[in-house]
Amino acid sequence: MFFLAIRHLLSRKRQTALIFLGISMGTMMFAIISGLQLGMREFVVDRLLSNTAHIRISARDQSVDKDEMTRRFYPQGEMISWLSPPSGKREEAHILYPQGWFDRLREDPEVVAYSPTLNMSVIISKADTRHPAVLVGVVPALYEKVLDISQYIQQGSLDVLKNSGNRVIVGNLLLESLGARLGDTIMVSSGQAELRPLKIAGVLSLSVEDVDKTLMIASLNDVQQLNKTPGQINEISVALVDINLAQAMAGAWALVSRDKVESWEEVNASFLQIFVFQDIVRITVTTAILVVAAFGIYNVLSIIVNQKRREIAILRSIGYPPSMILQLFLIQGVMLGFSGALFGLLVGFGLNLYIETIELNVHIGSGNTLIISFAPSIYIMGFAMAFFSAILASLLPALAASRLTPIDIIRSEI
Amino acid sequence: MGISCQRLIKSFGEPPTVIIKGIDLNIEDGDFVSISGRSGSGKSTLLYLLSTLDLPSSGSVMIDGQSPAELSVDALHQFRNESLGFVFQFHYLLPELTALENALLPARKNNNVDAKTHVNALFELFDIQTARDKLPSQLSGGEQQRVAIVRALSMKPRYLFADEPTGNLDSVNSKIVMDILKKANKEWGMTLILVTHEPDYAAMAEKEIFLKDGVIVNTAS
Ligand SMILES: Nc1ncnc2c1ncn2[C@@H]1O[C@H](COP(=O)(O)OP(=O)(O)OP(=O)(O)O)[C@@H](O)[C@H]1O
Ligand SMILES: [Mg+2]
Repeated sequence: MFFLAIRHLLSRKRQTALIFLGISMGTMMFAIISGLQLGMREFVVDRLLSNTAHIRISARDQSVDKDEMTRRFYPQGEMISWLSPPSGKREEAHILYPQGWFDRLREDPEVVAYSPTLNMSVIISKADTRHPAVLVGVVPALYEKVLDISQYIQQGSLDVLKNSGNRVIVGNLLLESLGARLGDTIMVSSGQAELRPLKIAGVLSLSVEDVDKTLMIASLNDVQQLNKTPGQINEISVALVDINLAQAMAGAWALVSRDKVESWEEVNASFLQIFVFQDIVRITVTTAILVVAAFGIYNVLSIIVNQKRREIAILRSIGYPPSMILQLFLIQGVMLGFSGALFGLLVGFGLNLYIETIELNVHIGSGNTLIISFAPSIYIMGFAMAFFSAILASLLPALAASRLTPIDIIRSEI
Repeated sequence: MGISCQRLIKSFGEPPTVIIKGIDLNIEDGDFVSISGRSGSGKSTLLYLLSTLDLPSSGSVMIDGQSPAELSVDALHQFRNESLGFVFQFHYLLPELTALENALLPARKNNNVDAKTHVNALFELFDIQTARDKLPSQLSGGEQQRVAIVRALSMKPRYLFADEPTGNLDSVNSKIVMDILKKANKEWGMTLILVTHEPDYAAMAEKEIFLKDGVIVNTAS
């Protein structure tokens, strides 16, 4: 029935072309919107992962709990009503038993690497100005296995932190606002009286403004000394073999520990929320276009079926069964869906290649062009959506055609 | 084996209007049977019942030893494809196919390549070789009807059903068509059942059936 189906399509070139273009438009838009959104998303996720571990284990604040205090002070269970309930923090949050974590992480086959850190808020004094910053104490050899930080270090290298020597790598925007340069020494304070001189031995940029404006990395020992908490850490970053397992593993670990265990998705939940919203917009726009195209297929095929009644009658009388009549019209929808979807995706692919080369006045990562995803899943999904809506749209008219009986048609013609 | 029917009744609508009122008929292989009668007497209805296109309200039809009502949909259509040929008053050629493609449509169902030589010979025989690669819209009414007859004969069917095949043609073309149909019956041995208004054509048949209000009033042999 291919032969006849093609003849039918060719005999009404304009309608065929319009429907073809409608479907193409749908898949083309899908390829472009998805390419842009997912490209941006890959970029953002990549950046997120460059300063977020797959799993982050962090210390819980040891806050003073009213009920616990009541129990401690009044163990007999007297009825107590606090006028001003006890509250506040008992001590600096830190991971209570790091060695336990290290042992567990070392033995877990899903864990690639882990890196203990001590993060603290500091104030940098330079001349008369004060700048808040986040100082992260790391063990360089472990740190670089978890976070691919070295590619973001613009000057110097992580190696400068190897031996504690009061050296620090500073985010480029922070450096700028300090008005400092590589090799300068800055005074860093934990907020208590003591100032500690740290030498700027490197500059890094993640192209994430919030991070580049506040981040400083130093050796773990130096930071522990500054914080006056030798041997303490308050975070362990973990890299996994399979990033998709992060959520599940974080959940499992959280059950057996008092520390806070979060996957990178949880840490960046607000970001990922935006992605969900983007997905909805993208699918909605594409669906709308495809519904219009599918409606076109449905309409035109219905009209064709009606116009072709006598031909259906003759086909039946010369021995073409209803199933072949169904095929005749279904094939037309399928061919339109197939070729339209393919063409649209090809054009979308080509436009994406072009868009990728357009230079803009903004910095995106290391370049100034939009980042576009060419993930096969985009094209597979776009094709599937268009193809199946075309089949669905042609199924109804095709079924109607196959149910016509030759005798009714011949009678109604005379 | 031929075609036979017993107590054939066909009614339409609700309440039912009985159009064919209990017809018994026996047609031998190779017969030429004409059905005539006034408009509305039920000629077409009877033809469709005998030719598997329609099913009776009651009574039975046997064609070539089988009952159309008992065949599966696919078997019924395969039977039509191989053994039955139809010629209607309107030619029903597919407008987007050339004359030759139209005539080969039955053969195309099962990729029957042998039909091509046969069909080409028929085009020559009916003097429409020049029409072969033209679209139906480029042909005269007489040529179109001849192409439709080639299509009906393309599978060398055992039974040929014609419902007023000359109804739309002038006398010259009518004669050409009738000559072809007679040839199919006399020379190729096809069983021909012809519905016609024309007494002259009806008289060409070996067996003439006159219908009046759904009953056979006179069968002349
Ligand atoms: N599907 C149907 N529903 C209702 N009535 C029908 C139907 N088909 C046929 N009839 C009626 O049956 C009667 C016989 O119709 P039929 O077409 O068999 O007549 P005919 O002898 O072929 O007439 P004509 O010479 O005009 O072709 C007519 O009165 C027609 O109105
Ligand atoms: Mg009639």
